[in-house]
Amino acid sequence: MGSPKATLEWHGSTLLRRVTGIVGRSVDGPVVVVCAPGQDLPALDPAIEVVTDAREGRGPLQGLAAGLDAIGDRAAIAYVSSTDVPLLHPSFVRCVVGATNDDVDVVLPEIGGYRQPLAAAYRVELLGAVEELIAADRLRPAFLFERCRVLQLNDEAMLRDAAVARLDPSLGSVRNLNEPADYERAHALPPPEVVVERFGTLAPRSRPRRETVRAWTLGGVAAAIGLTLDEHIVAALNGDKISRDEQLPLAAGDTVAFMVADAGG
Amino acid sequence: MTRPEAVWSISGVGYDRCMQKPAPGGYFGKALVVDLGRASGTVKPLKESVLRSYIGGAGLGAWLMHECCPAAVEPLDPDAPLIFVFSPLVGTPLTTSAKFAVVAKSPLTGRLTDALASSHFAIAGKLTGHDAIVLRGACARPSVLMIDGDSVSVVPADDLWGLPAAEAELRLRERMGPGWRVAAIGPAGERLVRYATISHDGRHAGRGGLGAVMGSKRCKAIMVRARHKVASADPRAVLAAAKDLRERSFGAATAKYRELGTMANLLAFNAISALPTRNFSAATFDGAQSLGAEEIAELRQVARSSCASCSIGCEHLYDGPGGKKTRMEYENVFALGPLCGVSDADAVIAASSLCDELGLDTISTGGTIAWAMECAEKGLIDVPWLRFGDGTALLRAINEIGARQGIGELLAEGSRLASRSVGRGSEAFAAHVKGLELPGYEPRTLQAMALGLAVNARGADHNRSGAYEADLSGRHDRLLGGEPHVAGAIETEDRAAIMDSLILCKFLRGVFADPFSEWAGLLSAVTGWNVDAEELATTARRIVLAKRLFNLREGWTRDEDWLPERFLSESLELESGRTATLSASRLEGMISSYYRARGLDQTGLPSRATLGELELQELGAEARQLG
Repeated sequence: MGSPKATLEWHGSTLLRRVTGIVGRSVDGPVVVVCAPGQDLPALDPAIEVVTDAREGRGPLQGLAAGLDAIGDRAAIAYVSSTDVPLLHPSFVRCVVGATNDDVDVVLPEIGGYRQPLAAAYRVELLGAVEELIAADRLRPAFLFERCRVLQLNDEAMLRDAAVARLDPSLGSVRNLNEPADYERAHALPPPEVVVERFGTLAPRSRPRRETVRAWTLGGVAAAIGLTLDEHIVAALNGDKISRDEQLPLAAGDTVAFMVADAGG
Repeated sequence: MTRPEAVWSISGVGYDRCMQKPAPGGYFGKALVVDLGRASGTVKPLKESVLRSYIGGAGLGAWLMHECCPAAVEPLDPDAPLIFVFSPLVGTPLTTSAKFAVVAKSPLTGRLTDALASSHFAIAGKLTGHDAIVLRGACARPSVLMIDGDSVSVVPADDLWGLPAAEAELRLRERMGPGWRVAAIGPAGERLVRYATISHDGRHAGRGGLGAVMGSKRCKAIMVRARHKVASADPRAVLAAAKDLRERSFGAATAKYRELGTMANLLAFNAISALPTRNFSAATFDGAQSLGAEEIAELRQVARSSCASCSIGCEHLYDGPGGKKTRMEYENVFALGPLCGVSDADAVIAASSLCDELGLDTISTGGTIAWAMECAEKGLIDVPWLRFGDGTALLRAINEIGARQGIGELLAEGSRLASRSVGRGSEAFAAHVKGLELPGYEPRTLQAMALGLAVNARGADHNRSGAYEADLSGRHDRLLGGEPHVAGAIETEDRAAIMDSLILCKFLRGVFADPFSEWAGLLSAVTGWNVDAEELATTARRIVLAKRLFNLREGWTRDEDWLPERFLSESLELESGRTATLSASRLEGMISSYYRARGLDQTGLPSRATLGELELQELGAEARQLG
C-alpha cells in the first residue's frame, strides 16, 4: 500500500480512527488496538486502548491473544476487526456480536464464500486455547475453529438481519483494502447518507430543520451545513453519544442532531 | 390597605455598633430582622469574616439560616424565618447582577431551600441599607411589610388578600408610588400550598414553597424603597469589568437565551431521550414538535424582555389566554406539557399563565399532577377526569390546587406527602428527591445529573446542581455513570454555589473562560478584598457543605440522598438501540465517590478535617449536636 494501513488518510481522518470509531459505536465494552512493537499509530479517541503485540510476525492469532488478554474480564465477547475495512457498518458488528449465545464460541461470517476471521466475534475465554495454538506454532485461525464451537453466518444469514439488509446490503463491511487500487476505489465512493437535525438557534429559518447530507465524519456533516463544532455546539449521534469530535465516523442511516451546548433553564 | 398597625425606625437599634468599622465595598454589613408578630425590628451586624466566607445570596442565606432558624421548627410555624438576601454585586453596573435570594426551611422538603429571583426588588431591597432582610413571626391579619430605608411598618392589607401577586404588586405601586418595589404572594401562598412562589415583576422565587412560608406569616407582600447608596471599592475597575462583561454577553454563549429562550431545550432534549414524559415513564414525547420554540415562537411570541441590569434579555413572552402575555420557559413547558402528556400549546401556555396567577411553582405543579394522572389511570385515586394528555383536566387540577379544593387539597401537599397519603405503591413513581419534584432532566439518560439530583441539599434541583452540563459536554458517556460523572457534578455544584452567592445569572456562565478567576476579580473590585480563584473554590465547598450541615441539623438522614424507585427499576430504550439503565448499585457508587470527594464519610457526615479546612467547626458541632 506504500504506507501502513492504520495511518491511511480517510476523508479528514484515518483508516484506524474510522474503524475503531465504528466498532466503539457498536459495542458496550472497551475497544483495544493491537499494534506491532514501535508501530506509529494515528491519533485515536482517548477512550481507545492500545496494546503492543508481544511477538511480531506471528499472525492473527498472536494479535487475537494480545487483544483478548487486554480485555480480560471486562467483556465476555470480543468483536475482532482488521484495520482496512472503511466501509464497516455498526449494524454488521451488532449482528455478529448479537448472534453469540451460550452454545457458541465464535461467530464467523462467511461472505462471498470466504470466511472472515477478522470480522468475527470471539468468546474472551478462548484466550487459553489461542495461546496453546501459538505455543504449538499452529498460527492459522482455522486451527482455532477446529477446537471450538463456531457459528458461521453466510451472506444470506447476515442479510436476514433487517438493519444489515437496510444499511449494508452489499456487505461492504468486509471489503478490505489489499492493493493501492482497492484503496483508491473505496476512497472514491460517495460518503454515506445521514440525516441531520438542527435545534434551537441552530435551526435554519429558511431551510428544513431536518435534511439529508452525505459525509464520512461529524466534521464533514458540520462543514456541509456551515456549522463549526466549537464550545457552543455539540452533536448527538442517533440520539445517544454526545460529541464535538470532528473525526467521529458516520455510517449510512445515522442521524446527527446539532444543538447548542448551553443547555439549561 | 389602611394605615400602618406599627411603624418603627430601626436607626440606632444596633446600627451604631455594626457600623463601628466600615463595611467592605458592596456591603452594608448588617441585616434587618423584622418580627412581624411583635411589630419590632432589630439590626443584626454581619461581620466582614462572615461576608467574605459566604459572600451573599444563597451562601449568606445558608449562614443566616443557621443563625436565625430555631432547630426543628416547622417550616410554616411563625418562628420559622423567611430571609431575603442580597449580594455585593447588586447595584453595580455588572450585567445580570440585579438578583436576590429567598431562603427558608421548605414546607415541601423540611430542609433548606433557596430560590433566586431578579430585577428591581434586588436593587431597592439592598439599598434600604441592608444585606439581608429576615422575617420572623406572623402578622395578626393579612398585611404588607413596608421597608423605607430605616423606617419599617406593617400595614393591614385585607383588600389585597386573594389577588394574584402581579395584581397586588400593581395596586401597591399605584398607591404608594413607583419608587417602591414589591415582592408578593398569590392565592396559593395564602392557602399554604407547599410549592407556592414569591413573585416580583413577573419573576418568581419558585422552588421549595417559599410563598407558603410567607403566607403562613400572613404577609401578602414586602415593599422596599431605596434610601441609601453603596459604593464599590474600585468603581473604575468595576465599570471596566461591567463594560467587558456586557460586550461578552452579546456573544454566542448567550445566543440561545436571547433568541429563543430556554424553551430551545425541549426539542433537543427530546432528540436525546432526556425529555421527561408522562411522569417519567418515557423520555421522548410524540407531541414535542407542537411545543418546541422552533415551531411556535414565530406564531405566538409577542415580546421579549429582560430583568433590570441585564443585557441578555432571556424573557420570551407568548400570547396567553385573554391576550395576557405569558413568560414561557423550558421548565414550564416540560412540566405542564410532556410530563403531563399534554401537547396542546394553548393548554400549556394557559396552564403556565394560571400557575403565575395563583403563585405556583410550575415544576412541582406539573410533577405532582403528573403523579396524580398516573395514580388515576392506575385506579389508585378516584379522579376519573384526570388523564394524561388532557389539557382541560390539567387546568382544572391547577385551579383546584390553588383553591385547595377537590383533588387540589391532596395535591397541594406535593407528590411526596400525597403519595404517602395514597400509598398502594404510588410512592415508587412520585418523582421527587427530599420532597422536591424533579426538573426536566431525565436522570437515566443524564447520569451525572442523576447524582446531582440525588445529593443536592435543596432536593431534586437543576439550578444548584447543573450536572446536566457535564452530561451534555460529550466528555463522558452520559448513560454510564461513574467517576467522571461525579467530578462533573461536583464541578457544576461548586460553580453554582458561587454564581448564586455573588449573585450572577447562570445564563451568563458560558461567557467565563476561567470562571473562578474571573469571579474572584469581580468580587475583589467590588469589595476591595484580594480574593483569588483558590479562595473562591474553597468558598464554594464551604457553601455547599454549610447547606448540608443545616439539613443535618434538621434531621437529614443518609437515605434522603437517593432517587425514586422508578428510576432504578425501569430502563429506557434509546433510538440508537442502547438501553439506559441506572442501577441502585451504580447510583450508590457515584454517591460514595461524591461523599469521598466532598470530605464526607460514607454516612454523609463531614469529617473533622473537612470541617476544619472549611472553617465550619461551629456549624458542624451544632449540626451533630442537634441533628
